[in-house]
Amino acid sequence: MELTTFSQQFPVVIQALNVGFVQTLKLFFVTLLGALPLGLVISFGSMSRFRGLRGVVKTIVWIVRGSPLMIQLMIIYYFPGLVLQPFLEQVLGYSVNIGWGGGESGRFTAAAVAFIFNYACYFSEIYRGGIQGVPIGQQEAGQVLGLSKSQIFFKITLLQMVKRIIPPMANEIITLVKDTSLARIIALQEIIWAGQAFMKGSQGISGQLWPLFFTAVYYLAFNGILTVLFAWLEQKLDYFKV
Amino acid sequence: MKKWIASAIAVWMLALSLTGCGGKEVAQATSDMEYVKGKGTLVVGITDFAPMDYKDAQGEWIGFDADLAKAFAESLGVEAEFVEIDWDNKVPELDGKTIDCVWNGMTLTDEVRSAMSCTNAYCNNAQVVIVPADQAANYQTAENCKELNFAVEAGSAGKAQADANGFSYTEVKDQATALMEVAAGTCDAAIIDSLMAAAMVGEGTGYADLTYTVALNSEEYGVGFRKGSDLTEALNTFFADALADGTMMKLAETYGVQAAVISE
Repeated sequence: MELTTFSQQFPVVIQALNVGFVQTLKLFFVTLLGALPLGLVISFGSMSRFRGLRGVVKTIVWIVRGSPLMIQLMIIYYFPGLVLQPFLEQVLGYSVNIGWGGGESGRFTAAAVAFIFNYACYFSEIYRGGIQGVPIGQQEAGQVLGLSKSQIFFKITLLQMVKRIIPPMANEIITLVKDTSLARIIALQEIIWAGQAFMKGSQGISGQLWPLFFTAVYYLAFNGILTVLFAWLEQKLDYFKV
Repeated sequence: MKKWIASAIAVWMLALSLTGCGGKEVAQATSDMEYVKGKGTLVVGITDFAPMDYKDAQGEWIGFDADLAKAFAESLGVEAEFVEIDWDNKVPELDGKTIDCVWNGMTLTDEVRSAMSCTNAYCNNAQVVIVPADQAANYQTAENCKELNFAVEAGSAGKAQADANGFSYTEVKDQATALMEVAAGTCDAAIIDSLMAAAMVGEGTGYADLTYTVALNSEEYGVGFRKGSDLTEALNTFFADALADGTMMKLAETYGVQAAVISE
């Protein structure tokens, strides 16, 4: 059965795009949830007093920021089953199963790991800039008051850092919304995948380009909400000046 | 000294987090058949490809290949699970055990045969030239098509035919994109599978203004398993039985591909 008129196609397409967009949003929020704290940990590593640790962390940040996310997705998804598993089986002599699994959950988990790690590295550099941008006098004031290092960080530096990094973080987070579409390289069925399916034919609709173009409306709407949210947050934190 | 210990621990932890933990053991699987039976599912790697594998209005995978795959899985006593893959990545998906077979109107080329363990051919196919219907009369032979600018799927059998015939072409992501290029007028013609062409272009389809003309070759479809898999033989036997008792032809008629089924 072929659906030929726009009014027949529209509800089917919207239904499919909604399902895809839920995947997009899931990946977006899971990435934020993981990458925001992990980025802070990595930024501490790259500011560490230990030169060895600092070198290792900076090298990792260089590799992750310097190579395409699409390649990282493919390596993280295919490497365990393709290389690691046969290798372990040879070494151990019995069969192990460390692949991600072919189903939707395996693909999602692999994509989330790749995105969290990748974005945490970008975030870490923004955090580092924010932390190092807080005037040294603020820390010295804390020391004079007899605060410990962690007290100085959480009570003095952190909030001032947050205030400083909102514009660059907003940039990165809006990019993340759109970058989630890269996950379709490991066949995670996010919204672009859902829109593309109607090009070759799915659910009685084939040869249609408009569903793919229509996905942009979803991205625009969601990024509009984020933009408003960040503007509000920025204003909210405007009550103190440094 | 202390900072070296700290660095070493950091490296070790990062290595752990990179490799991903949780290596759960499975019983020693001696063959692919036992592996599939052990986990109870046959994971079939597909793309959305009418009339072989596509979704019905309820979102259920149907099609000539999908229905055969379900029947084959049933004969093994396992469940067929369909997973959409990126066609370019079919070999790593198979070898990485994220899927157990590629069963999606796959043309048996030398590349496919060398990368997978393939069954006997079960369906005939051809690479056909797609042109706008109003120009079809001018392009009924391969010779006439030489002046056209083609769109072909990267790494496909269609691209091999374009090379063999000396056509000028642009490589695109998949056959659907190739069709789209012709419909949008960005390319003059495309080369795609005849089974797909029969289902997707012409009257009553999404590409009513396109049609297909010359068949450039003839080729065959097969199913791919991991190299050395014993499931290949099992499926060959299953195909022979399904042909003998008529179930294969009945399925083929449901999806309008009976003319293409290889019946000896």
